[in-house]
Amino acid sequence: MLSIYLNSTYYVCWRELKRFFRQKTRIIMALFQPLLWLVLMGNMMAGLTDNPYAARLLGVDNYLLFMTPGVMVMSALFGGVFNGVSLIWDRRLGFLQKMLTSPLPRFSIPLGKLAAIVLQITLQMIIILLVARFLGVHMATGLPGALVMLVFCALFATVMGGISLALATAIKTPETLFTVVNFLTMPLIFSSNAIFPREAMPSWLQIVADYNPVSYTVLPMRSLATSGWIWPDLLLGLGVLLLANAAVFLLLFNRFEKTQLI
Amino acid sequence: MGNNPEINKKIQVEVENLSKTFPGGIRAVDEVSFRVYEGEIFGFLGPNGAGKSTIMMILTTLLKPSSGKAFINGINVSANPQQVRMNIGYVSQELSVDDMLTGRENLWLQGGFYGIPAEERKARIAEVLHLVGLEERKNSKVETYSGGMKKRLDIAAGLLHRPRILFLDEPTLGLDIQTRSEIWRYISGLRQKEGMTIFLTTHYMEEADRICDRIGIIDHGRLLTVESPSNLKKEMGGDLIRFTLNSEMGDAQTERALERLRSIPAIRKIVEVDGGKGEYSALTASGEETLPLFFAALQETGSSVGRVTLKTPSLDDVFLSYTGRDLREEKVHKDQGLQERFTRRRLQS
Repeated sequence: MLSIYLNSTYYVCWRELKRFFRQKTRIIMALFQPLLWLVLMGNMMAGLTDNPYAARLLGVDNYLLFMTPGVMVMSALFGGVFNGVSLIWDRRLGFLQKMLTSPLPRFSIPLGKLAAIVLQITLQMIIILLVARFLGVHMATGLPGALVMLVFCALFATVMGGISLALATAIKTPETLFTVVNFLTMPLIFSSNAIFPREAMPSWLQIVADYNPVSYTVLPMRSLATSGWIWPDLLLGLGVLLLANAAVFLLLFNRFEKTQLI
Repeated sequence: MGNNPEINKKIQVEVENLSKTFPGGIRAVDEVSFRVYEGEIFGFLGPNGAGKSTIMMILTTLLKPSSGKAFINGINVSANPQQVRMNIGYVSQELSVDDMLTGRENLWLQGGFYGIPAEERKARIAEVLHLVGLEERKNSKVETYSGGMKKRLDIAAGLLHRPRILFLDEPTLGLDIQTRSEIWRYISGLRQKEGMTIFLTTHYMEEADRICDRIGIIDHGRLLTVESPSNLKKEMGGDLIRFTLNSEMGDAQTERALERLRSIPAIRKIVEVDGGKGEYSALTASGEETLPLFFAALQETGSSVGRVTLKTPSLDDVFLSYTGRDLREEKVHKDQGLQERFTRRRLQS
């Protein structure tokens, strides 16, 4: 049973990766967008840390160091959250029907698509980390910390990608999915601590940020970047992400195994 | 073709009182029962929206029936879908090959879905590529293929796991005439070479006539008859007189004229072609003998005829006699729309 799942997931993932690496524009944009954030935002905000009060809020004297985990999480979010579009296109082009009439276990469809997203995003993150390093960002926890950051990003991407795929089981047009996804992502980012420190927010926004899953991914990653191995932060982030993943995979299993899908 | 001795009577598909009602109350399939035998090419013929594809989607485990039962190779489709999937190949109406992969990669992927071991898979890929004549283009991306080539690749993918029964939903939809007959050749060849059971849907009369052993005529979700093309035509017997009446005649006089024509014993049946256009089709044992009676009858009622043609029935006419509607290639859809608009207009005025 497990070998059937592994085999099927592998082929779904294989196809997604083949497609990804054949779309040059998509690759360039996936890499270019986070770099734009880093270089542009980083430069724009660099003066911020000259202000001692702001520097204290950020907890660092290099805004880029503060920003890098935020950019990573945002890239993981955008990378994952449009994953559902591929399912909608598969349905429209009849490829989903082809998978559904084959003995492929249905749950391996989201598993394969999420595996592909995790691989794409990890590649993207490695490049972000390298560029950040080149721009003078030194992580407090060094290379081991950076590797743990990759794990957090992957866990976050499967949550976002999973929600998107679950939505796509019910939504039949890409336009609608785009609208729903945009409606969800913007508030998620701006009410989190990805770009601005929680301490700089008005108190009501602080409350929103406290319940925002994005914050729980940014928190441990930022600890790793700016402070060191702060275990309570790491465990809290890990716990929330694992719980969220469990919920999302349960939802996906239910959607893919129990509903019609076409 | 109808009494093909190669067809033994082992049942491959059995459908009993199958119905499907979609949310919103649309009854797409209405109490349909039929059987398909091993080694047979069985075709569903009907206009767009008749319910052909819905039945096929139920048989291929994509949709659940609202009521009734369906068995593939003795396996209940709703109870054991996973087992059914091992036995069937399905080529959907849409071109469901991945454009961004090469032909070979598409087949490799398909083989992966069915868990065919790598060595065996390579051999089978070579085999099906040969069968559909795509060996030379196997390493080109599918987006560079022509429509016919894509369809052939799609069919090849459906064959890779050697299904006992192959479902082809409108295999030639949207293809030009040349490509269409090319696909027909491949389908007929498949049955000859592989002895495979093939179940297809079509709304091309010619397609049903040329390649099917038996045809099920389906309209508004109901299966009207299942017969071999030749028997269907034989059943029609004799000739058809197709005619229009003088357009200046009022409804009452038209009705009177038709009434009088129906009373001629040699005329078995008169149906209106594409309601609203005023064209009729009369079925008779012998056209030459009936035609003088036909004109005499019209003269008697003081009616005049617009245009008359005498012809031997085609499957088109068979379809017409069963459904009261003409099935001419893709026009059906438009005609239906027009007909509805006419009815609405008539109701409004």
